[in-house]
Amino acid sequence: MNHARARQVAIALVVSPALVVAGLAYDANARRAAKANDAAAIDALARRLPTSDLALSGGARWLRAISLEEPGAAFADGPASPDPDPAGAAMAPPIELWSASQRQR
Amino acid sequence: MKMSILAFALRALARRKARAFALGGGLAFAVALVAAVVFMTESLRAEAERAHAAHPDIVVQRLVGGRPTTISSADAARLAGIASVRNVTPRVWGYVFLPSLQGNVTIVGTAKNAPPLSIANGVLAEGRDIAPGAHEMIAGTELARFLGMRPGDELGLPTTNADAHALKLVGTFRSSLDLYTADVLICDEDDARALLVLPPGDATDLAITLSNPAEARVVARTITETLPGARVVERDLLARVYHLAYGRRAGFVLGASIPAILALLVLAWDRASGIGPDERKEIAVLKAVGWSTSDVLWAKLFESLLVGASATALGLLLGYGWIFWLGAPGLRPALVGWSVLYPRAALTPAVDVAQLLGISLAVMGPFALLSIVPAWRAATTDPLDTMRT
Repeated sequence: MNHARARQVAIALVVSPALVVAGLAYDANARRAAKANDAAAIDALARRLPTSDLALSGGARWLRAISLEEPGAAFADGPASPDPDPAGAAMAPPIELWSASQRQR
Repeated sequence: MKMSILAFALRALARRKARAFALGGGLAFAVALVAAVVFMTESLRAEAERAHAAHPDIVVQRLVGGRPTTISSADAARLAGIASVRNVTPRVWGYVFLPSLQGNVTIVGTAKNAPPLSIANGVLAEGRDIAPGAHEMIAGTELARFLGMRPGDELGLPTTNADAHALKLVGTFRSSLDLYTADVLICDEDDARALLVLPPGDATDLAITLSNPAEARVVARTITETLPGARVVERDLLARVYHLAYGRRAGFVLGASIPAILALLVLAWDRASGIGPDERKEIAVLKAVGWSTSDVLWAKLFESLLVGASATALGLLLGYGWIFWLGAPGLRPALVGWSVLYPRAALTPAVDVAQLLGISLAVMGPFALLSIVPAWRAATTDPLDTMRT
């Protein structure tokens, strides 16, 4: 590899993260723009669903609607399977509200 | 001059190809792993928050023994009188276990005044919305595919209620909405009530819409006082839930990746702990032919920068491609759960330039700087002493 060639390759390698970041940001923007076309559909659908939680753990009802299920339900999705949420999918109840209400009583 | 040193650094790396590839490969792998987890977590969180605006301002559940139970519709009337409450809707929804699926499906009852779903508004892939009282249903594409159903087919869901009707499939959700609908079955509220064996007058929970959502906290406090023991879920707290849930899962995956991260640290330690005899001799020769200490330090810094930059670029590319181009094989089940019905919809990147730059600088900065100290030590030693040893 001659000196000029080595210099070009070296410069390309040094700036490669910036090029990759720019490329990925462009691709991400394009995908987000395509997804924006679904916004109206998602909005219409979400009004018919009990929650906007994602259907990622349909086999486990305590994880299906993580924002609405019982707080502190600690189970794995299946026997002997790793538990992705050992403390349950804790949607913490508004503790400050409960405690404020208790104090008032 | 600096450009010449940069070219020299590249050729120096080429002379030690195996070491440079081992170092760069390990670094690229670690960057790809961490970046992939970050990309996927951010994407899931953004996806969950995308439908956030349509969520009711407040959801009220009744707890017995710390677990949600049905709530009386009469409570809706009590809450409707609270100032700022515009609307209280008792909702009927729940889960039915399908033995053939070995998993739960989410049954959602449609209220009488619900907004329509259609192909035109982009929700349905085929068919139409359900007609009230006609014992019809709409199912997620994935669920319909799993059950082998097409529009027009009927399905009798398992229930203890003999009065529950078989439901006719009249439409399926678009597959791009899989993340919300993979296990969802929407039917008439009366059918849902029959399937879930929910007594008349009871509801799964109450959805409350406020005239002024900014007053949610005050209204929530009033609801807690009106219905002691009720669980009040505010919409604004949901973002915290998603951060907790996906952040925790990401933490577990990253925790399981500790060996890989350790490998990166060992490689970094290798850079920090000194340079080999060959490199030491090379530095001595450079000094002997007239290179200054500063030139030597620049050369070593450039060597680290070349390895670190190319490994970071490769790692980011691999991490992004793994999640968004290939669909995250291997990583997806770890982060999304162990459901039977996996949503197949592609994830949408939520990562921005700042995060990408943050990952890049967090890797390249320390990696490049670690090379300075040992190089400085070697460069300040007498070249003759080094060459004699």
